[in-house]
Amino acid sequence: MIKFFLFIGFSLLIAQTEPVKDIHRNQPRVWALTNAMIHTEPGDSLKDATLIVRDGRIEKVGRYIKTPLDAYEIDLEGAHIYAGFIDGWYQVKKDEKTKSPDDHWNKKIRAEYRAKDDLIIKEKDLKALHSIGFTTAHIVPENGIFKGKSDLVILDENLISIKNNVAQILEFKTSGWSERSYPNSLLGVIAVMRQTFLDADWYHKSTEILKNYPDENEPIALHPSLNQLANFKLNRLPILFMTKEEHGALRSLTIAKEFNLSPWLLGSGFEYRRLEEIAEQNPFIIFPLEFPSKPRVKDPHIALQYSTEQLKHWDMAPDNIKKVFEKGLRFSFTSATLKNKKEFRKNLQKIIDRGLPKSVALSALTTYPAEAMGLEKIIGKIQPGYIANLVITDGNYFDTKSRVISLWMSGKEHFVSNRYSITLKGNWKLNISGDLYNLSFKNTQNKKKTASVKQSPQKKEKLIGTIQFGESNTTITELEIYETTVEFKVDASFLNKDGMLAFKGQISKDKIVGKFFDGSKQTNFTAQRENLGKITKRNKDIATDSKLFYPEGSYGLDKELLNPNAVLIDNATLWSCSPKGMLQDWDILFVNGKIDKIAPDISVPMGSALIIDGTGKHVTPGLIDCHSHSAASSINEGTQSVTAEVRIRDVLYSDDINIYRQLGGGLTTANILHGSANPIGGQNAVIKLRWGSAPEELLFKNAPQGIKFALGENVKQANWQGTGRYPQTRMGVEQVIRDAFRAAQDYRHRHKTYERNTKAQKKKTPPRIDLELEALAEILEGKRLLHCHSYRQDEILMLTRIAEDFGFKIATFQHVLEGYKIAERLAEHGAGASTFSDWWQYKYEVIDAIPYNGTLMAKNNVLVSFNSDDAELARRMNTEAAKAVKYGGLDEIEALNFVTINPAKQLKIDEWVGSLEEGKDADFVIWDGPPLSIYSKVQETWIDGIRYWSIDENAQMEDRDKNIRESLIKKILNSTTPNTGKDIKPNSDTPNHGHNCNIIDSDLFSQEYSQ
Amino acid sequence: MIKIIIFLFFSYIYGNNQIPGTDQKRPILLRGGILHTVSGEILEEHDLLFAEGKIVTIDEQIQPSPETDILDIYGKHVIPGFIAGYTRIGLTEISAVKQTNDHSEIGEINPNVRANVAYNPDSDLIPVTRSNGVLIVNSAPSSGRIPGQSSVMEMDGWTWEEATLKHPAALNLNWPSMRFNFRKDAKKKEKAQREEYHNAIREIDQLIRDVRAYHHRKNAKERKAEHKQQSDLRLESMIPFVIFKDPIHIKANDARQIEAAVKWSNKHDLNIVIVGGKDAWMLTEMLVQNNIPVILLGVQVTPRRRFEPIHIPYKIPAILQKTGVHFCISLDPGYPMDGHVRTLPDEAMRAASWGLTKDQALRAITLTAAEILGIDDKVGSLDLGKDATFFIADNEPLTQYNNPTKAFIKGREIDLSDRQKNLWKKYQEKYRRLGKLSD
Repeated sequence: MIKFFLFIGFSLLIAQTEPVKDIHRNQPRVWALTNAMIHTEPGDSLKDATLIVRDGRIEKVGRYIKTPLDAYEIDLEGAHIYAGFIDGWYQVKKDEKTKSPDDHWNKKIRAEYRAKDDLIIKEKDLKALHSIGFTTAHIVPENGIFKGKSDLVILDENLISIKNNVAQILEFKTSGWSERSYPNSLLGVIAVMRQTFLDADWYHKSTEILKNYPDENEPIALHPSLNQLANFKLNRLPILFMTKEEHGALRSLTIAKEFNLSPWLLGSGFEYRRLEEIAEQNPFIIFPLEFPSKPRVKDPHIALQYSTEQLKHWDMAPDNIKKVFEKGLRFSFTSATLKNKKEFRKNLQKIIDRGLPKSVALSALTTYPAEAMGLEKIIGKIQPGYIANLVITDGNYFDTKSRVISLWMSGKEHFVSNRYSITLKGNWKLNISGDLYNLSFKNTQNKKKTASVKQSPQKKEKLIGTIQFGESNTTITELEIYETTVEFKVDASFLNKDGMLAFKGQISKDKIVGKFFDGSKQTNFTAQRENLGKITKRNKDIATDSKLFYPEGSYGLDKELLNPNAVLIDNATLWSCSPKGMLQDWDILFVNGKIDKIAPDISVPMGSALIIDGTGKHVTPGLIDCHSHSAASSINEGTQSVTAEVRIRDVLYSDDINIYRQLGGGLTTANILHGSANPIGGQNAVIKLRWGSAPEELLFKNAPQGIKFALGENVKQANWQGTGRYPQTRMGVEQVIRDAFRAAQDYRHRHKTYERNTKAQKKKTPPRIDLELEALAEILEGKRLLHCHSYRQDEILMLTRIAEDFGFKIATFQHVLEGYKIAERLAEHGAGASTFSDWWQYKYEVIDAIPYNGTLMAKNNVLVSFNSDDAELARRMNTEAAKAVKYGGLDEIEALNFVTINPAKQLKIDEWVGSLEEGKDADFVIWDGPPLSIYSKVQETWIDGIRYWSIDENAQMEDRDKNIRESLIKKILNSTTPNTGKDIKPNSDTPNHGHNCNIIDSDLFSQEYSQ
Repeated sequence: MIKIIIFLFFSYIYGNNQIPGTDQKRPILLRGGILHTVSGEILEEHDLLFAEGKIVTIDEQIQPSPETDILDIYGKHVIPGFIAGYTRIGLTEISAVKQTNDHSEIGEINPNVRANVAYNPDSDLIPVTRSNGVLIVNSAPSSGRIPGQSSVMEMDGWTWEEATLKHPAALNLNWPSMRFNFRKDAKKKEKAQREEYHNAIREIDQLIRDVRAYHHRKNAKERKAEHKQQSDLRLESMIPFVIFKDPIHIKANDARQIEAAVKWSNKHDLNIVIVGGKDAWMLTEMLVQNNIPVILLGVQVTPRRRFEPIHIPYKIPAILQKTGVHFCISLDPGYPMDGHVRTLPDEAMRAASWGLTKDQALRAITLTAAEILGIDDKVGSLDLGKDATFFIADNEPLTQYNNPTKAFIKGREIDLSDRQKNLWKKYQEKYRRLGKLSD
């Protein structure tokens, strides 16, 4: 609040502190703007009203106001006055934060930086902003993850701040893979955000204690960044997250929730896709007012490179803001992304055409951002006491034909354009010495524009003039207009003379007065406007009729899934994956998402359950993949050898089409693991394949937390150009892991000691919460399952020994291709083995891989599963399991366990899934034949008693999607609107096939929306 | 279990691990088997006599001569050796270890390099692959615009010369990428990418012209000694393919690549085969019209585009079959797939599960593959006069648990053990000694 008062009379401050350069300037600062249409606030306006400006503020506004004697009157008849508009986003270019020894160790954390320190707005840019009515702009920094602080600045020559510390700006910004500095993945960026918020709390707490007990503590180094962040956090000042798509918004809001922040978003235009979830925390959103340009579907081959959801986005994006408004959210606009600022008002018109009320559009330019910034008492409205920031237009602002005439900023007028528009277009009566001729000007398109590969949206329009006399026409040449002066040449034949005549005249609204020159003498002429010529009627944009899908695009859900209270399958072959084995001609009843009963014969009252005839059908539990990288937007944070702090759950991507494809293969649960770029990778997420849901809803809530470790060639970076990162040998890998666990022990000890000693808590600075060591300590405490990528027997043996030294058990070895060599060790230690069915040969450490691995380990009492590590394998886990029958002759029932109950046990989720047993989750698959057979097909896949996939629905959706795609392409081809806006880039890559452990972020973004 | 014991029994008898088979000295009569001729019907309880490496007689009952060895195989299946149409077998051992790779010569234009001379007959991939009935592979070089000449290899032999069934099988050409990268981080802008493509095409156009000119000048009758054309291995190696229309295998997956490749071959009057062909299902009419075969790489793969029907890759063989495209099925080589040629029958089974009949699927990895590779006079079916290259198994050819129990290449009996089975045996012994494994 204090900051407010600081700004009262701010404009005088300059005069007070700055020495006078020459002689004093004291321009009068009292004005009366009269006879205007004054839009005092959105939805409220006064006709023929007067506005008094005094000393930079609005003194009075109203219809019957007496002009104060000292005020100078400006007649604004026919003009409209609006409160000055606020541009929600103006990023400083090349912000160059000065380096300081007090900087955060990670140079991407620079919360103390104030963007305005480097604010320079070029004359040209300023003019462009003025031309669309912006009197203030929100100035934000450019670089880093915690980028720094923003200001709201008046866009006059002084660039005075109305408010500083408006928001702290955050971006999910990764360094390139080649840069190798932490963090270089989305995973890492989110971990950095979370850790830094914790650090800010710790820093605040510690400095407070230190202030009171300076003798009892070691001093803490100065952290301007953490200090600033603590200030934002404690005072709940806005934390603004930049987003590129709706998942970015969801991630931002998840962080905001965790740390009790006041979230703002830089909108992406994709909010409509997950509006329900986004609206939960009521974030204030700044929308770049730009919409997608037309996808390039003219070339049918390039059309193939567009996903359906990209085509749909073109159709739906302009309705986004309206939907956000209808959801009750508040927002502001920015012209920041527009290269041609004229597009701003056109786009504004577009969304109004599509149903956003004009008053809301005005609010988004004025009152909404003013309120969000806590400035609702001084800007955004035309009321006494408000800063005299005004937009004067010659007509309604929301009619794109009207023009901004001038801006008032802090009570000073700034010229934008002429009071009256000079329109030559139309028909005139030319009067030369009393004779009348018809003079007309009309637009033609400049045909000179050459075709080029890159589209050029700006069609230059050119005026063509003709003089008509009798039957013939003469075309005007060299037509030029400067301000109100018009010049042209015309053949003198219409006056029955030779040669050319040069006309020069002054245009006012409906009259041209001037002279023409024939080389020897000048003659007077006048022209009187007859009419404005043909006025082309604007085609109104109409809202899309496309229906929203979850997720958007192919196979998206457009209706509720089948979710009966009870399902009874009659007379099916049940592969129970439990001690009961295979049950032929049995019944199974599911009630409320759980398995209710399994018996030879179950009857239910008529109509109380959905009954499925199971004759000839086979039912298995939903399949489980113990090693997957689907459904995540980021897999590896490989910059450091230990990154236990990063979490797959932060980057879950529920729109991954592989979720749907894998459901079609009977998969219901997957363990989404961090990659194998480093010895201690990130935390995994066990998910259920709930297609259509938001990322958070994918999580298998009851699943214990886990983490991914890795050994061997990948972590010692043997298969690509070395970085020199420690470790480079298996010896070093062992030491890195031991060291990490020792550090975690020390860490836990520090915290426990502090927690136990309540006295010390008052006087002593607390130990810092370290997300990395926290995760490692949880492993030691048995609270976090360890899944380790491994190949060779030596490294597997080694890790079991480390685990035993530290008193915990490895949950699973992943891949574990030489597990068969030390099966007795695995069994003794109690680790699960999650392996490939038959992968081998691709690198040196798999030279001894054999397809008998699974069988041989299983026969030696190791808990074995087969996993995919691959999006394609994951949708045929049943036939992967069958390979254990082919290689080594395992029993079919046991083989099926490799992809059902065994992985469930490995992930410690067997209490809920993995078998058909009463009380477990209703996760099951109906097959049309024996489940291990390659000739059997999934008929239906159910999760929690909800049918997520069925072969019939799939066929229907394929038809539906084909039609949608075709009609969208036709719609784009038929569209005649000028092709402006943000490019939707065609997809460049086809999905990878093969092993995923080495995936980096840039491989994962299946679609790219250009900036 | 029984199957496995029998199988182990066999491996013990022919125990010397993976020693090449001996030439067939005595005729062998397979009695009472189920013969999957592929070219014709399945013949139940038929006899098959082969001698000197060739199939001599197929009949309901054959009277053997006294020197004939007789194998009773009642209820067992005789299946022509599977043929993988595009692999790097013999040219790589461990994909990630550079030292073991011989499939990618430096440079863009290498029409003169020959796959078979680098084929390592002692590669561990060979026994592992043939353990699943894949007895013939086309080994192809892979890098650059023209990677070189591929060779059809038998999975047996002391030397690469003995193992070569046909060379050259084809000249390989990787069609330039036409899937332009529009991403912001694309190193080259769209225009430059298009230019790069056109340059690549111009380069091969010029190459074709140069080959014609080279051939023309070499064969011109009247010339002075000093006008003799100096030798150029690259151009010379292309004469059979450009002048005499031996097959050129063009690797192309994208629809527009396939289209462009077909147009290009018509322009130059060449004989091409599309390798890869992942989008071939969109262009069946064109492929049939121009009579262009396809070596389809990969059935069990994810769709190439998010919006494509999820099972489309599984159904492509059926679409090609239905529309009359001449195709065979193979796998996409390259890291980490080079060792996966052994899953060739799985690919065919998947296709059979999604629209092909089992007979059609079997043909797609035997006789059709032989036809496309130009070796159908020797292999691909059980027919009189063809090589005795087949295997015997307890189950029908396209069943998942099938493991060949005996295999012959040109009548030589093949050792069906391999590195993996040996390791399996070795470690079974470990657990037997620990008392953890009975038998």
